[in-house]
Amino acid sequence: MSEMNKAKLSGKTTIREIFETATEFEKVAHRFYTALIPNVSKDIRWLVEELAEEELEHVDLFTKLAKDPAVEAVMVAEIARPVADGKFSDCVQTPDLGPNPDDQAVLQYALMRESAAMDQYTELAESTPVGPLKDAFVFLANEETKHKAELEKIYYEVVHSGGV
Amino acid sequence: MFNFKPDRTQYPAADADGKLEIDLETGKYLKLWQGPNHPGITGNMSVELTVCGDEVVEGKTHVGYLHRGFEKLMERRTFIQVFPIVCRVCVPEPDFNEYCYAAAVEDLAGIEVPEYATWMRTLILEMGRFNSYMMFLGGIGGALGLGITGQWMTYVRDLMLDRFEELTGARIYHMFILPGGVRGHLPEGFEARMEEVLSTAERYLDDIDKVMFSNSVFKTRTKGVGVIDPKLFEPYGVTGPNARAGGVAKDLRKDSPYLVYDQLDFEVATATDSDIFARATVRRGDVQTSIDLIRQILRKMPKDGPAMARIPNVLHWKIPRGETYIKGECSRGEYGYYLVTDGTGYPRRINVRGPSYTHAMALLEHLIPGTNISDVAALMVSLHTYPPEIER
Amino acid sequence: MGLREVLTPFTVWKHVFDEPVTIKNPIGRPAADRYRGFHQNDMASCIGCGTCEAICQNAAIDMVPVDGIETRTGDSGLRPQIDYGRCCWCALCVDVCMTGSLTMSNEYTWVDTDPDAFRFVPGLEEPWKDDEEGYEREGKRVLSGIERIHMEEMPPETRISNFEEIVDGYSRAEAILEADRCVECGLCVATCPAHMSIPDYIAAVRDQDYDRGLEILYETNPFSEVCGRVCTHKCETSCAALHEGDPIAIRWLKRHIVDEVPFDRRLELIGKPAAPTGRKVAIIGAGPAGLTAAFDLARAGHGVVVFEALSHAGGMMRYGIPEYRLPYEALDRDIGVIEAMGVEIRTNCRVGRDVTMDALRRDYDSVILAIGLNMGRSTRVPGTEGPGVEKAVDLLRRITDGEEVPVPERLVVIGGGNVAMDIARSMARLQMQKYGRVGVTLTALEDIDHFLADREEIVESREEGVQIFDARGPQEVVRDESGAVTGLRTWRVKSIFDADGRFAPAYDEGDEQIHEGTMVIEAIGQMADTSLLEEALTEALEWNRGRIRIDGAFRTSEPWLFAAGDAVKGPDVINAVADGHRVARTVMDELAAREVMQ
Repeated sequence: MSEMNKAKLSGKTTIREIFETATEFEKVAHRFYTALIPNVSKDIRWLVEELAEEELEHVDLFTKLAKDPAVEAVMVAEIARPVADGKFSDCVQTPDLGPNPDDQAVLQYALMRESAAMDQYTELAESTPVGPLKDAFVFLANEETKHKAELEKIYYEVVHSGGV
Repeated sequence: MFNFKPDRTQYPAADADGKLEIDLETGKYLKLWQGPNHPGITGNMSVELTVCGDEVVEGKTHVGYLHRGFEKLMERRTFIQVFPIVCRVCVPEPDFNEYCYAAAVEDLAGIEVPEYATWMRTLILEMGRFNSYMMFLGGIGGALGLGITGQWMTYVRDLMLDRFEELTGARIYHMFILPGGVRGHLPEGFEARMEEVLSTAERYLDDIDKVMFSNSVFKTRTKGVGVIDPKLFEPYGVTGPNARAGGVAKDLRKDSPYLVYDQLDFEVATATDSDIFARATVRRGDVQTSIDLIRQILRKMPKDGPAMARIPNVLHWKIPRGETYIKGECSRGEYGYYLVTDGTGYPRRINVRGPSYTHAMALLEHLIPGTNISDVAALMVSLHTYPPEIER
Repeated sequence: MGLREVLTPFTVWKHVFDEPVTIKNPIGRPAADRYRGFHQNDMASCIGCGTCEAICQNAAIDMVPVDGIETRTGDSGLRPQIDYGRCCWCALCVDVCMTGSLTMSNEYTWVDTDPDAFRFVPGLEEPWKDDEEGYEREGKRVLSGIERIHMEEMPPETRISNFEEIVDGYSRAEAILEADRCVECGLCVATCPAHMSIPDYIAAVRDQDYDRGLEILYETNPFSEVCGRVCTHKCETSCAALHEGDPIAIRWLKRHIVDEVPFDRRLELIGKPAAPTGRKVAIIGAGPAGLTAAFDLARAGHGVVVFEALSHAGGMMRYGIPEYRLPYEALDRDIGVIEAMGVEIRTNCRVGRDVTMDALRRDYDSVILAIGLNMGRSTRVPGTEGPGVEKAVDLLRRITDGEEVPVPERLVVIGGGNVAMDIARSMARLQMQKYGRVGVTLTALEDIDHFLADREEIVESREEGVQIFDARGPQEVVRDESGAVTGLRTWRVKSIFDADGRFAPAYDEGDEQIHEGTMVIEAIGQMADTSLLEEALTEALEWNRGRIRIDGAFRTSEPWLFAAGDAVKGPDVINAVADGHRVARTVMDELAAREVMQ
């Protein structure tokens, strides 16, 4: 068990740690999707491109937040570790979707990831003190919820309703 | 009395063709136009009178003031589209047109009308006949200067129009009998309201008896005037009350029963003198028959049941090639529709046979010579003719 | 005549004391409840079918656009405008109204100095708009037929043991009666993807002029025999007759026309194609889109070769739709007419394997891609990998090809669309033949009211013994220690769509079921196999969310390549036919333009 995983069992965490995990989460995702773009066939590239773009926006948001003095001031505060944290942190590890994944595989991975992120941000938004960071988590929670709904719609269209 | 022969010696002699040689230049004769706008005319037609003093020596009937071309219009309309226009052929008694047309279409299209609808049709026709007689009884009085009968009868007719309105949704052009059946059922409480109308009518008819039929002036002016020789009935196509007033008990309701007349008890009113008075009394009797029939129908008709048979989609209803003649006894005599179909969606030919055609034109021309100018209006009304039905 | 008759008339002087009967002010006198007064129209239930306009013998009614009312499926967006200078108050418009929206108030006085005011659209602003009284017809409409003429079908116990066609088809007498119900409003024409002249061919049935009917059909649809049997008949969902009764059986009437015209007569009626133009077009895929395009192009004199990977032409019409819905002979006749136009169909010729795209590009003036959606999707829930799990489209194809397919005693189908019903009912028949009983369970995410399958498919599946479990989300294909499939584990779907109508399944994990079966058949979505394009062309083409990007005229981003059918649009035969016509039009325009350029 890694140091990090041990720390996760403690039940408490600092905002800094949460913040860093979240930033890493988004960066990893962005890198993952960006790297995937040339590996998928052109017909489904739109999907991966859209996903990469959305994650990049989130990375930008975190970069901006890190420079915000008001956020810096609360970094050391301790808050309850979100229940969803485990699943969320796992997503920092990216899966191997194979050399040429199809749309369904990409969608399934993205859905799982969005679902974890949505739970994580929703909980964080509830437990973070009022301030720009809370606003950011509320924003992200809403964003991820929307993404998840959007992806599910795409999933239904692509996978379930093609055959009538 | 039937050997009515006017003394023609004072009049010009007829030539070999039966035409009179009238020389207006002599100043002995005068042309007098009665109508087309005249209170004593039964509608838009005129009678061109040649008078000598106050005696009429010749009368020519002129029609054409009201020609609307219905029969031609019908040929340009689908079978359902004819339905709204037929009632307009005859304003005072429109329902006969609706019935005859509907029955003709049903005959050629092979449609069986539900029982309820046949009772309802009979009811409507008797209500219409009642109203037509109201116009007659008002009109015959009016033609002889007895204005009050017109006012009373118009009032009673109005009460019956109220019943038409609540039953059919319209007062004059009811458009209620359509091919396949009728458009609806009796409204609730209709029987009671109808009974009120009928008893009011009976009260006023009692007064008509007093003011008109028991009136010495009316009798003097109508008895022995305008006598139709029963021998003329056949060649002149005289039917209905005009014939019955001459002792010929012709009535299609009895002679060839249609609708539910064979299930109804009634007697046909007749008279013997064949003059204006006799024709008025026959109608007075007939209106009572109609009142009794309306009561009977409302008592006997089924309380419920389908009002319409199943008919083809009216928007492209084609009727197989065929021809039929449907007739019925309207208030003026035999009314009929002759329908020819050719398998298309339009009638090939419809001919309306109205009793007014013969009564108001040929017969009237025959009856006029020898009458007094002041009797012409009464004579014309006594024939009970409706010019709209002459001209279609 | 005595003194009595002089005096009696004077007794009526008693009336001098009567109250006058005249109504002093007739304005405002209420009319009877049934009175045929000014028109009312319920704007929301009116569908603008114009039947009122058609029946009006005075031409008093015009159908006009009204602000705020949009054209949509089953509603022309027009509303009746009535001219009281012409109206004769017969109320036939009310009696014939297909929805019952048009009624009359008992209002009958209307004073206005503007004569144009009396030409108005009822249902907008008039004061009597919401009056309760007034003429309404008794009950449902009687001027056109309400009930559909019954279609004879093979009873379930007879049909379940074979693949014979279920539906008998109308007799002439039945067809005339059914055709009679049509009011020719044409709302169906707008709904039909191919805009078939439905009222016209229904009129041909009424007139018993089947030659004319067939010619009308071929103006818009060379697959009328197929569509007469298996069309998704969206037209019948916009039929004006459905509002107070059954929609007209448009599909069966279409079939009836084709059934009545012998094949040779059909060829005669369609005639010969135009003189050869010398142009050549390659079409990939002998499905409804490709063959429709082929028909149009060939009739115009162009040389057409259709490349088909499988052994027979027809695409999903042959390999997807089971024979009991669409007999192969029916399909063969439709294809026969197309071939008679000079279309060459090269079967067993897979582009990418037997011939390359490059070769087609080189040898033909244009290439139309009409490859359809022939690969089945998988739910990819745990256990779907491995033997015992099949895809519906694969199985249906093998059944058509006469291959031996595994037929277990009990099996589970996943999916609620027509393909799911097709495979469930096909397997049920095979089970009946093999075991004498049916053992098919069908599960679907959607609840029964939201199944994508046609209603009659659901009804007939149930009649044939298919057990349907709706709102079940597949979680796992259950296998025993040896790896053999034993069933499908599902959770109940609490809701499938969110408040905005988006797919967001929520499961009730407490409501778990194992549906037993030794085979699971997935019949969910399908996808196009675009591998024939190969990498270079795939890269060169523009794509639109997983499908080849086409413009409104079915051009791809490559000037020589066009695409149509399910692979780019979907989702059924009639849409494919419509696409086929349009892509053929574009190709012909392009060829003509090139002619001018040279």
